[in-house]
Amino acid sequence: MKDIAIIGIGVTKFGELFHQSYDDLVRDAAIQAISDAQISIDDIGAAWLSTAFPEIGVYKGRSGMDLCEPLSLYNIPVTRVSNYCASGGDAIRNAANALRAGECDVAMALGVEKLRDRQPQDSIVKMMVEYGHPYLQKGFTAAGTFAVYANRIMHEYGVTREDISSISVKNHFHGTLNHKAHHRIACSLEEVMTSPMVANPLTVMDSCPTTDGAACVIMVRAEDVDKLKHKPVYIKGIGFSISTGWDMPFFDPNHNFLSFEATRKAAQTAYKQAGITKPIEEIDLIEVHDCFSIVELLTYEDLGLCKPGEAKDLLRGNETKLGGSIPVNVSGGLLSCGHPVGATGIRMVHEVATHLRNNAGERQVKNAQTGMTHNIGGPGAIASVIILSNQI
Amino acid sequence: MSYIKSYGLYVPAFKIQGNVLHPSGRKNEHRIAYVDEDIITMSFEAAQQCLHTVSKKIDAVFFAGNTPVFKNRYHASYLADLLQIPQNILALDFFQTNRSGTDALLMAHQLIKSKEFKNILIVAANQSFPSIGKESEIPFGHAAVALLVSASNGFIKLNHTKSYSVGYAEEFEYKNNTVTYDPRFSRVVGFQTAFKSMLAELNTKNISSFIINSSYAKAAISDLKNAGVNIETQLTNDQVVPSLGYTGAAHALLRFIYAAENKSEHNVLIDYNNGINLIGFSVLENKTVSLNKGSNINTYQDYLIIRKASNFNSYKYKTIDMFSSEMMNEREKNQLINLNGFECAECKTTYLIKSEQCKNCKNKIFLLKKLNTEGKVFTYTKEFYFPASFAPITMVVIDLIGGGRITVQLTDDMFIEQKNKLQIGSKVKLVLRKMLENGNKPNYFYKCIVEP
Repeated sequence: MKDIAIIGIGVTKFGELFHQSYDDLVRDAAIQAISDAQISIDDIGAAWLSTAFPEIGVYKGRSGMDLCEPLSLYNIPVTRVSNYCASGGDAIRNAANALRAGECDVAMALGVEKLRDRQPQDSIVKMMVEYGHPYLQKGFTAAGTFAVYANRIMHEYGVTREDISSISVKNHFHGTLNHKAHHRIACSLEEVMTSPMVANPLTVMDSCPTTDGAACVIMVRAEDVDKLKHKPVYIKGIGFSISTGWDMPFFDPNHNFLSFEATRKAAQTAYKQAGITKPIEEIDLIEVHDCFSIVELLTYEDLGLCKPGEAKDLLRGNETKLGGSIPVNVSGGLLSCGHPVGATGIRMVHEVATHLRNNAGERQVKNAQTGMTHNIGGPGAIASVIILSNQI
Repeated sequence: MSYIKSYGLYVPAFKIQGNVLHPSGRKNEHRIAYVDEDIITMSFEAAQQCLHTVSKKIDAVFFAGNTPVFKNRYHASYLADLLQIPQNILALDFFQTNRSGTDALLMAHQLIKSKEFKNILIVAANQSFPSIGKESEIPFGHAAVALLVSASNGFIKLNHTKSYSVGYAEEFEYKNNTVTYDPRFSRVVGFQTAFKSMLAELNTKNISSFIINSSYAKAAISDLKNAGVNIETQLTNDQVVPSLGYTGAAHALLRFIYAAENKSEHNVLIDYNNGINLIGFSVLENKTVSLNKGSNINTYQDYLIIRKASNFNSYKYKTIDMFSSEMMNEREKNQLINLNGFECAECKTTYLIKSEQCKNCKNKIFLLKKLNTEGKVFTYTKEFYFPASFAPITMVVIDLIGGGRITVQLTDDMFIEQKNKLQIGSKVKLVLRKMLENGNKPNYFYKCIVEP
């Protein structure tokens, strides 16, 4: 397969952005990436727009044309990608495949979501209440679909509430170092554990906020990189897997609620492409989909950073904190940055690329050469794993 | 001649004392259906219990009540479908007054006598509430009772039945105001007149017990005395009201079941409501009625929430118009309601949800398998933000005994005792409940209760 390079990256401030429309966010992220790549809008040969939930946002993003209009980017193929919270990772995969196939020479993947125009109760919770099957799984919110994993892993592996909430403490600390994060507030373990319960054992501070934001990457084939202009970051591997639907995890007697099969499959594919055999030794930093703190803990094991049941030891040893042996979510993760659903997977790639370019300021992971993103969607059903490097 | 072959009784898990409803209220108990219960779910439980030990072919299903769930739809047909009784039956609703329970019994008796019918399932249920603030005046209560009336031997024998019609309405209405009942008129011109006619035809000395199911029963005492009845020994007290409340259309049939606690011949059940149904019967075999202990509702506010009469405009409760589709329900009932799952012919993994190939071993051949309604908790969570009458909702992933997994809400958990708190490994049982909060078009699906 041909190597793909990211030559331009852009990300908006994440947060409650009442002053910016959906179109403003598209322009903000796209223009940053286009400027960074030192190209013009008309150089883009194809684009992928990642918006997961137009109907709980501002009804924008149903089609690729919602990317075209704000940028006056017409007469090229533009596709809307919708794969729940893993939409961003899937947009990048599609753009990379189009470049490899020779469909275009310059590809854009842009993710955007505008959720805060509605009250939180009218967005994510409302979706779980009113959409979907009239009675299967009715009673779950997004938090609950992951909380059932938390209770099982606590029962099975001796993981404690403190272990789970320590992820939130770590990521909120990282978030204080990221000026584009939604929440930039450090918090204590006690504050996380005593904040209002959402779905036991997960509290409000174990849960990411709903957020407005956009992120964008410009990609070319590695052979087309102009090293005099660009600081390229290379895509060494992309794994993407759907391992279940909405219902099957809750009706499959073999599902152990200790692991996301989709993450394991996507990681296997990405590692094989990148030639990685010992991820904890070969990868310098990881952005993990910590929509709820428990998901980060489970993902350590699914990405092969440790054996089943040992994720708690990585946390207790501060190995995944900035300065540790394998820093995870130094951006602040979804817990601090927030989760504009379609933008998240691309925001993660932006973060890792920033470190691989040595531009991350006070949260910079030293001597970072190889990084990884992990973006998950649905009830742990869909996963994207992307391995990035500043070396070809 | 017809017989009661078996019976089923369902009473909700919650009760409220009269003095919680009103400071001056009497200390009698009222059983209260939970927010996700109605006459369909209560009847389903009672009917399942009734049919549990008998394997008779059912010729007819009669549904009696006075608090209908559906318009333009037969409750009897819907219940028969839930019970998986074949469609070639007579299914009728009796929904005119609280006498409809014995209306159904009379009809069943006559049809059995005709020898064209052999086994008829009767179900009567009540979920009526008095007006807010009037609860202390009316001894209301919720319950469902099911009887299998049969041509072959049973524990009660129906000897004869008779009905006395009263043509006029017992209500009073002034210029479109709320319809009210005038007890003076009803008692004197309605009840006493009909009762005297009925009594004149009875040989009262041969009767071992009179069960009079009417709020005017006291008005009959002087007539009974004049007819030579010994009030102390022959008139049966109402055992249902003190423990359950007045259970509407189910009440007469419940008193009938309570009468079976004592073996006796020549009993009469007199059920009055805009006319009299008289049923003469003998108890051939003693049956002991046992009720679940029940949990007390301790505040009037909780009671108002249960009857959906409180202010629900908070983030924890909103009236939700949830999607409901008859077509979807009809398509999926064989799996999701009748719990017919798919067992992989190769690795024996059982799925409730259909898939082209086994997720475990990729085999494509499945055998149909009826899933159990009992199981153990694999994992769970309490949802504090899903709108509910009583937050949090507990979502439970259950491994069913004999195979298959299902994920459902926990119910009847409002005042669950510490020793019965749900945890991983707890034994649970599936119960059919209402999923839709607004109640206009209920979706029925399973929830679970913790088995003590």
